[in-house]
Amino acid sequence: MFDRDVWQEIFNTIKTNKLRTFLTGFSVGWAIFILVMLLASVNGMQNGFVGQFNDDATNSIFVRPGTTSKAYGGFEAGRRIQLKNDDLEYIKQSFSKDIEYISARYYANAAARYKDETGSYSVQATHPDHQAIEKTLVVAGRYINEADIVNKAKVAVIGRKVAEDLFKKEDPLGKFIEFNGLPFRVIGIFTDDGDDNAERRIYAPVSTYQRIYGNTNEIASIALTYNPNYDLTEALAFSERLEMLMKRRHKIAPDDQAGLNVWNYAEAFENISSFTSVLKGIGIGVGFLILVAGIVGIGNIMVFTIKERTKEIGVRKALGARPRQIINLVLLESVFITAISGFVGLLFAWMILAAVGPMIETPAFSNPSVNLSTVVTATIILIIAGVLAGLLPAMKAANVKPIVALSDI
Amino acid sequence: MIEIKDLHKSYKMGSNSLHVLKGINFKVEEGELVAIMGSSGSGKSTLLNILGMLDGADSGEYTLDGVPIKNLSETKAAQYRNKFLGFIFQSFNLINYKSALENVALPLYYQKVPRKERQEKAMKYLERVGLKPWADHLPSELSGGQKQRVAIARAMAAEPKVLLADEPTGALDSTTSYEVMDLIQKINDDGNTILVVTHEEDIAHMCKRIVHLKDGVIVEDKKIEQVRAEQYV
Repeated sequence: MFDRDVWQEIFNTIKTNKLRTFLTGFSVGWAIFILVMLLASVNGMQNGFVGQFNDDATNSIFVRPGTTSKAYGGFEAGRRIQLKNDDLEYIKQSFSKDIEYISARYYANAAARYKDETGSYSVQATHPDHQAIEKTLVVAGRYINEADIVNKAKVAVIGRKVAEDLFKKEDPLGKFIEFNGLPFRVIGIFTDDGDDNAERRIYAPVSTYQRIYGNTNEIASIALTYNPNYDLTEALAFSERLEMLMKRRHKIAPDDQAGLNVWNYAEAFENISSFTSVLKGIGIGVGFLILVAGIVGIGNIMVFTIKERTKEIGVRKALGARPRQIINLVLLESVFITAISGFVGLLFAWMILAAVGPMIETPAFSNPSVNLSTVVTATIILIIAGVLAGLLPAMKAANVKPIVALSDI
Repeated sequence: MIEIKDLHKSYKMGSNSLHVLKGINFKVEEGELVAIMGSSGSGKSTLLNILGMLDGADSGEYTLDGVPIKNLSETKAAQYRNKFLGFIFQSFNLINYKSALENVALPLYYQKVPRKERQEKAMKYLERVGLKPWADHLPSELSGGQKQRVAIARAMAAEPKVLLADEPTGALDSTTSYEVMDLIQKINDDGNTILVVTHEEDIAHMCKRIVHLKDGVIVEDKKIEQVRAEQYV
């Protein structure tokens, strides 16, 4: 295969038909270019979506109570479901192996005041685990800890915007801020790269807020993350079990979605990944169809080459060339043209992506790029394409009767 | 060397069938120089094609150097052609992007002779046809006679049992024709078996035996006194 004579012949045909080879090679290069660009775009879209969701841990589950819509277990429809501290304890105990982090949520609004500055913010009273679930980024001070929960400490972790609004240039850490007239000590500041609104939030210990609001043990919702080693099916199975148990505990009909909602990020994530894989499939499909046009082009040039060289092939056969040697010659030439032009297309696409890709950063589209597996796949496709393009002309060439060489005109 | 018994060949032309060879019996000994003559349509080219294993006969026997030539696969035919036969064509049929040396080396390439040995052998045969200084020239840089001499060197390179020449002087002027015939005679003097298809009387008389074909049968087969081409060169 790596024979000097064979290569000499290939280069010679290419040399004598520069324009024709270039034009057909261009079609294959262009096809690969488009294929890679399409795949990179899908990749960019995927990156964008994943980036959007990264705001929260991707393995999180939210349990939210509602109002029953069906009569069940001796209760009428329309009953309001209220989660309590022991629901949290119950989940913790029943699913100790499945749960990574768990936190209650208690929502409140706070009219906050520091010196002369005031503002209205939403407060999320949580457990320390909540930081990991929401991926809250504390840039100064600390988050809520266990001691705060036990002591029902009046402490707050405020968003960057809250700090800007109320404290202006001052350092908020350790300062006291009034929420509805009650003094809370600022123990931390957090940022959120998701959006500004998230930075207008305040976190406080859940126990503190439960005491302020009438010594209650009620909680608004439960947020948790499951064992990160779980795959999608395990995660879905877990959230189903969780839902079933919680519904039984609160005597809610198993199919009553309004009574209690267990929302699993994995599900939404699965929807997105199936969406992007469909897009990827379309991308590959379209790219492949364009590539087929390129293959036909190469096949065409090969048929022409064979036609022109019929006499030469006849002479070769008269001199003792075996059909297989003729086939090899044609196939190698076809694979060579396809591979070279394809690689040029691949290289171009890759260079453009490397130069432009990292600069693209929008919510739905970020860093379009190709990975090694795409490149390897494209290479394999190219070689197969080259063989396919050359196969028919090669067979034709092998069938040239040497008699043709003898029949002089 | 060559033995043909009752060879028949017909071509289908639509619904008609054209009977080209109607029972040829023919024998060539080693070292002979045979001219096959006949007007166009006499079947001489068809006979040469069958002798060259480029075409199969309908019936009859063909034995080449003791090997029966029958029902050959493409691959086998290619091997036999390479081993037994050397072709010389009217229009030379050199490969135009290969130098004279590479053209001569081509049959050796198909014999899987290593590159270096191939070059040496090819050079030896080029020297024999007197074209050693032109080894690196492309066919387009050679004259008609030189081209045919390269083609003869190529036909001999694989050291075949029989050389088949189809109108070897058909595309050459008379002086060059005699040069080529002189070369063919000299090769024959070395003991090579050569078959020359021609329709030119003077060329035929430079062989040692003339076989006359007419309408698919041999009408005349006679040994002649060879006219040496040397005297005209």
